[in-house]
Amino acid sequence: MPARLINNEDILERRILVIDDEDANVLLLASVLEREGYSDVHCLTDPEQALASYVALAPDLVLLDLMMPKVDGFMLLEAFARHDQPGEFRPVLVLTADTTLQTRRRALALGAKDFVAKPFDIIEVALRIANLLETGILYERLRPK
Amino acid sequence: MTASSPARTITGYWTDRPLAFKGLVVVALPLAILFGALISLYLASNAETRAEDDVRRAFAIQRDTYQVHALLAEAAAGARGYVLTGQPRFLEPYRKAEAELPATMNRLDGEIRDAEVRRGFERIRRATTQKREGLKTIVALAGTRSRSQQNADALEAALISNKIVLDGMRRDIENIQRRERVLLDQRQAKVEDVRNSFLVLTAISAVVGLLGSLAAVYLFSTGIVRRVRILEHNAELLASGEALNAIPDDADEIGILGQRMHKASALLRAREQALRESEERFRLVVEGVRDYGIFALSPDGNVVSWNLGAERIKGWKLDEIVGQHFSHFYPDETRDFLPAQMLERARAAGTAEDEGWRMRKDGTRFWANVVITALYDDTGDLRGFAKVTRDMTERRRSEQALRAAREDADAANLAKSAFLSRTSHELRTPLSAILGFGQLLELDSNAFSPHHRESVNQIMKAGSHLLALINDLLDISSIEAGGAELRVELIDMNALLLEVHALASPIVSAAGLKFLLILPPNGVKVLADRRRVTQVILNLVANAAKYNRTGTLVELSCAQTDEAVRVSVMDDGEGIKAADVSRLFTPFDRLGEQTRAKVEGTGLGLALSKRLVESMNGQIGFEQRDQGACFWFTLDAVN
Repeated sequence: MPARLINNEDILERRILVIDDEDANVLLLASVLEREGYSDVHCLTDPEQALASYVALAPDLVLLDLMMPKVDGFMLLEAFARHDQPGEFRPVLVLTADTTLQTRRRALALGAKDFVAKPFDIIEVALRIANLLETGILYERLRPK
Repeated sequence: MTASSPARTITGYWTDRPLAFKGLVVVALPLAILFGALISLYLASNAETRAEDDVRRAFAIQRDTYQVHALLAEAAAGARGYVLTGQPRFLEPYRKAEAELPATMNRLDGEIRDAEVRRGFERIRRATTQKREGLKTIVALAGTRSRSQQNADALEAALISNKIVLDGMRRDIENIQRRERVLLDQRQAKVEDVRNSFLVLTAISAVVGLLGSLAAVYLFSTGIVRRVRILEHNAELLASGEALNAIPDDADEIGILGQRMHKASALLRAREQALRESEERFRLVVEGVRDYGIFALSPDGNVVSWNLGAERIKGWKLDEIVGQHFSHFYPDETRDFLPAQMLERARAAGTAEDEGWRMRKDGTRFWANVVITALYDDTGDLRGFAKVTRDMTERRRSEQALRAAREDADAANLAKSAFLSRTSHELRTPLSAILGFGQLLELDSNAFSPHHRESVNQIMKAGSHLLALINDLLDISSIEAGGAELRVELIDMNALLLEVHALASPIVSAAGLKFLLILPPNGVKVLADRRRVTQVILNLVANAAKYNRTGTLVELSCAQTDEAVRVSVMDDGEGIKAADVSRLFTPFDRLGEQTRAKVEGTGLGLALSKRLVESMNGQIGFEQRDQGACFWFTLDAVN
């Protein structure tokens, strides 16, 4: 583990919401997060419930699949952005099998903070998750109360 | 040069002189003769005047000598009368003679030219002086009134001597008169002579002048007029386009003019000939063209000429269509407006092109390509239109068929690509789970038995291979679907090759080979996608490292040709069998699949490289070397 500005325990306590229509992928991410030691992980395979869960849970980080039936990741990114209060930092890490440039650009333009192609290296994904959570904590600390 | 006769030499000399010289001669010759005649006339009249002058002087001398004689005789008579009477009245003649004699003598002195006469005159002058002295003495003696004997004797002696003097003088005067008469005759004869010779001279002058004028006219005629007539005739011939009469090549202006005229005639005839031949050729070509209907229209659109091609395409014969309006060629739906529109467009823009249905004589339709060109003459007036028609029916049919086939092929290709893309995506999603869980297991493999560890290892290996396959497939399909994401930028090839060399060195080293890099001395630049170029070079280097089992090295090099940059990857291995070369860039066609089962790869590398290079306007290819293989690709160079 590289040296972090934030206590590792603080990071592992953060709330993470995983949204993917594939059970196997949700399970994989949950396993990775569990193995890392995260304690507040919520998983979702029905994207139609995603916004409600997002609002209800107010997660510190969202792991989002883009290619989903009915409600896809782009629509959710837009919905999250509409819902977020000004000054709130709720990073979304996009995980998708669609690696085309257009898709990457579109996701990042809609507010995704990071982008990982499937299949992914689980260690890399774990590190990116930790980085985003650390950034979120630092942001909260700097934010005027 | 042939020897020429003297006459010909002279006339030749004459004709060869410049016109100014000839004009001078022709004008000056009669003038010179006239001038000569005038001089002779002047001389003759001068001589006559002199002769008449002589005659006049002879008369004057005669008159004056008589007068001298008369004055003296009268004075003597008067003196005698005075002697006898003593009356002074008789002295009048004496006094008159004393007064007039000196003047008369002087006049005579001035007029006498002849030597003999002058001698006589001198005697007369002396005698006159004696006489006057004598008379003076007589008058003096008579005036004394002293009638002495001595006086009377002296007077008698004076009278006698006076008489002698006067007699002598009378003889001298007669002599002079005689001499003068002779001279007068001579002079009158001379005047006659001069007059005669003047008449002769005038006659000769007239004859010579006439001859001179005739000669001048002749010279003018031979030197100029006759030759100008020939030239004039030649000019007429030239105007009517006929062959010119031959003329001698004289060196004066007329001769030169004649030669130039000949030259101009020859040139004109040559041009005319060439033009006629060209027109003939052109006519034959136009008439003989079978695949193009070529014909001319009058300014209002009536057919005025018709070629074989037009007859073949449209069915009308020459005599059936000439004079008809060209709207006959248009089908009903366009006949009312399109012909007029076409002519208007051609008039406005110089040319008008159209493709569409036209009609044959038998009413059948054909798909025509029509070009109408407006024809203007030199003054800018519209002379008509040239119309070229091609029967495009067959071509249109085949083009349509071709287009349909191409569209089908493109659609099929797109469908295939979309399918591949979708498939790749669908494959990546479950593979993500497989590899993800595999990696999870791998992380915890310390707890496993060696047997399970090996199983996890196999899952990861097969999964990775599948992922590589899917990635290449997705690349190929996205390129073929036209969705290749090219990020074209200006690339310094030397820098890029150094990077790739560093990147690929471990692969080549792992295969136990040397990895050479040869860069052009002056850097080269290309416009391309950096990531794609790197991908292609890595692919070629990896292939070379993978398949070079017998050699010792892999060589990466770059060179600039005229407009392209060529990157080559060479090895010194076994090379590739000639029979296999054509299959090199075909997907999944891994060469020597049986014998090289141990070589890893997706079988898509070269196919993908080919598509990548071609998507950047480049070419990719293979060359067999004496020892080993050479793969190369090109990119557009930027200067």
